[in-house]
Amino acid sequence: MRTQILVAGLAALVVSGCFSSAPTASALAYTDPPATSGWRLVRDPSSTASRLVLGLVGPAGTLTRGVGVNLQAPRGVRFGTFDGGLAVEDGGVYDLRSLDDGPEEPLAIAAGLKKGNVLSAGVFQKDRRRPAKDSGATLLRVALEVDPSTCPAAGSSLTLTVLRAAAIPEDIGLTTDQPVALARKLALTELDVAVGTLVAN
Amino acid sequence: MNRTTLRRLAALAALAAPLAAAPASPAALPRDVQARIEAGRPARVARVERDLRARAAALGLGAADTLRTESSFTDEGGRTVIHLVHLHQGARVLGSQLVVHVEQDGALRTFGHALAAGIVLPGGPSITRDAAVAAAQVRLGARGPLAAEPAVERIVFPTRFSGARAFELASGRSSIHRGYAGPLAGLAPYVWAWRVHLQVHNALDGAADWSFVVHGDTGEILRADDLLRRATPAVGTGLGWHRGPVSLDMSQMNDGTYALLDTTRGTLPNPNLSYYADDGSGWTPTGMQVWWEEHDATGASTWNSFLFQGNASSAWGDGQPFTSFGAESGPNGQSAGVDAMVGLRTTWDFFGSVFGRNGLDGNGTTPYATALCTGMVPAGDSWWSVGAFGGYFGVGTWPLLADGVDAPTDLDMVAHEATHGVTSPSWDRYFVDSPGYEEAGLDEATSDFFSEMTEIWAARSGSDPANAIPATPGDGQIGRTFLRTGPLRWFDRPSRDGRSVDGWFDGVKYMDGHFSSGPLNRALHFLARGASATAGDDTHSIYLPAGMAGIGNDSAARIWYRAVTEYLVPDLTGGLTYDDAREAALSAAADLFGAGSAEAAAVEDAFAAVNVGQDHAGTVHAKVWFKPWRNGDYIEIDHIYSDDAGKRQYFPRGENVRPRITVENAADTSVTWSVGGPSMWNGADYYTMAGGRIEADGSWTTPFQMGWHAITATSVADPTQFAEGRAFLVNLDMDSDLEQDATDMAELSYSWYLSNGLNPSHSVFIAPWVDDQDVSTFVDAMKAAWPVP
Repeated sequence: MRTQILVAGLAALVVSGCFSSAPTASALAYTDPPATSGWRLVRDPSSTASRLVLGLVGPAGTLTRGVGVNLQAPRGVRFGTFDGGLAVEDGGVYDLRSLDDGPEEPLAIAAGLKKGNVLSAGVFQKDRRRPAKDSGATLLRVALEVDPSTCPAAGSSLTLTVLRAAAIPEDIGLTTDQPVALARKLALTELDVAVGTLVAN
Repeated sequence: MNRTTLRRLAALAALAAPLAAAPASPAALPRDVQARIEAGRPARVARVERDLRARAAALGLGAADTLRTESSFTDEGGRTVIHLVHLHQGARVLGSQLVVHVEQDGALRTFGHALAAGIVLPGGPSITRDAAVAAAQVRLGARGPLAAEPAVERIVFPTRFSGARAFELASGRSSIHRGYAGPLAGLAPYVWAWRVHLQVHNALDGAADWSFVVHGDTGEILRADDLLRRATPAVGTGLGWHRGPVSLDMSQMNDGTYALLDTTRGTLPNPNLSYYADDGSGWTPTGMQVWWEEHDATGASTWNSFLFQGNASSAWGDGQPFTSFGAESGPNGQSAGVDAMVGLRTTWDFFGSVFGRNGLDGNGTTPYATALCTGMVPAGDSWWSVGAFGGYFGVGTWPLLADGVDAPTDLDMVAHEATHGVTSPSWDRYFVDSPGYEEAGLDEATSDFFSEMTEIWAARSGSDPANAIPATPGDGQIGRTFLRTGPLRWFDRPSRDGRSVDGWFDGVKYMDGHFSSGPLNRALHFLARGASATAGDDTHSIYLPAGMAGIGNDSAARIWYRAVTEYLVPDLTGGLTYDDAREAALSAAADLFGAGSAEAAAVEDAFAAVNVGQDHAGTVHAKVWFKPWRNGDYIEIDHIYSDDAGKRQYFPRGENVRPRITVENAADTSVTWSVGGPSMWNGADYYTMAGGRIEADGSWTTPFQMGWHAITATSVADPTQFAEGRAFLVNLDMDSDLEQDATDMAELSYSWYLSNGLNPSHSVFIAPWVDDQDVSTFVDAMKAAWPVP
């Protein structure tokens, strides 16, 4: 009988507890990458103590029509959602609706959490007739939180990795172009995104 | 024809008239009372119209809206039933209608699917009637001439009824069918439209009978309904259609010869035959008649058809299976004509004698049959055309083929088809009979059931009243002789055919109506004849293991006839379900026998025995279903392709995903999963696949084949309960980097508004254009495949 009680107690610990004697983290601290003329992931003012919101910002003066990113978070961090349940928030720069339709048409914004804790997210101007926009502002936001089930130690450094990022360039050709010439212009611009440092506290 | 023969025929006709020996039903009124009430029907209709006009605002109708009486009748219990359709600026609002019951004491009750309220639709269609016809003809794709002038009607179309099986891409490039794929982009809740009815009967196209709804501004096809009622495709067996010696009502023509033209049945002309010119022979489009399809001596159809006529004698047929191609009008071919005529006549008389119905459609419209078909309908098949108001019956393939099928001109097959003339009396009122709608199964089962009742009624003894259905059991089969190895369908346990199902499940709608008919066929069989409490019996139901007592053929038939003619009124949208059928039957039983009657309780038990609703004792079963989960997103709101758009699921191909499922009424909500489902083995849907590997826990590695895939979830707590759902697999890797991720959505921007052919690969459907279907489906598939907890 004593053995059974002991086993039951261990099972409960395995499910719910953190064994490390070190204090576990409950918040994320993020330091922006150095200000450059390139693409960066920066801390958004909407962040709170328990929820880190990062914004993808492009270089001022660079015109684009949409951007997508695959961002891998380390163990100890999980992605959060915004209003509407989507794991990405539009930065408000791009026009996500077409010129023709009303407010009920679907927005060109998508996100999903893929294997390996990789958030794939993007916002795009689905209507090619919309003009390209200046990328020097927050184009999209993602949210991160401490994953308490993984018991990250307070003070531990974590690494965020941008596996891929790409933007729709300004020039995507005209519908009046010859098909071959047009096809050459239908290519994404690969982005090199600078990421800051992340610490669990 | 000599005078003796004429007198004999007249005497037989008198015998066939309804007898007044017994009341028509438990609720039937004396004939004089019924006649008095019937005489007051026009006044009651006028009163109802006045009342409804006065209540227009309360009904949500504006100044531009009116309600028009489409039809009315007085039933055998003295109730006046009025069917009104909704007009906006004089145009019918598709699907918006009311049915009003006026009881003997003047009490009014309205029911039916809700009226479309608050329509704001100024102006009218901007494209012309001719342009709409042209658009419909393009979609029909007929190569030969039309069989009749197109019938065209200006309508208001609620776009939530968009969708049907006609939305195939016809671009000539490799693409997939997305008939149920998603919403039409940018449609307002109501649009002006043209409804176009096209029929063809020719060698190039075969037989086709379609109703198209054409967008009044864009010419886009918004909906397409196939109005041919096809019987089950034949899968090899024989022919044996002897009805033996029968008496026939026929006509002696102006030249003294005889024709299979029965002018004692039919007071309105047939809508299809009315296009034929009067040739002075004495022929008329008013009067039940049988035609034949012409062939050459090799059996090749000429695509001409003729009335059985020119017979020098009043004796028809040789009583043998047909083998005489090239001589169809001779004695051998006449035998098929005789069978078809007997079937039509018997069905007509059954509904008239038992229910007091005026013909098949209730208005006395002439039906007709075309026999010996190989072109207008395949040799081993039979169809009913709603628009032509007639049946086409194949010639059969036996005995010319040893393993062929009988000619489908036996009484049960003809009565099945002719009953479609009762449930779908015109192209303004028909049951939608396409896979994807539970209504299709209700339609086919109703034809099966009344075919069985017609057979039983026709076999009554001389002492049985003609206005009641004997209690004798029928054969419980449809197509008894057709396959030569067994019937097409069984009533007691429909799954005996290996294709039908015995009980309702979420997803039964995806089956062909001839197989989704199984639950209703079984329910009506149980209602009439009872169900066994012994496991293993063909009439034992796992959903009602204690069994039930039947209430007899006559009571069961009256309940179901009343249900389909007074409660289960189709509205051209395919919206009737098995739950509706149960409710309609309960309402009919309450009318006829009382709400607390044993008959009403039997209705509850009969439907519970096929997994529809609770039994009379209130037994609750687990429910497994693909619950609508969209909660009002773009796909669901205003862009609904079908009534279950809210429950369908989109996933990327070649990924590991988890479909959603809901289990209710069970403490254990776990399910086991499998790919495919009952709809996969009925041959109904050529486009749905069963692919990939799904683990028992629902982890599904989706295959690479795009398009609709069937998946089935079965309750662990109650394995009798399961649901078949639809998942649409799309390609998200539009940038071809072998990764399906959000960045792929950029390709939609590239492709937006590019003309056909420039970027077909940038559609998630591999369609030759990109629109909001792609956007909404992309977003949906990302969320479904890779949810963020």
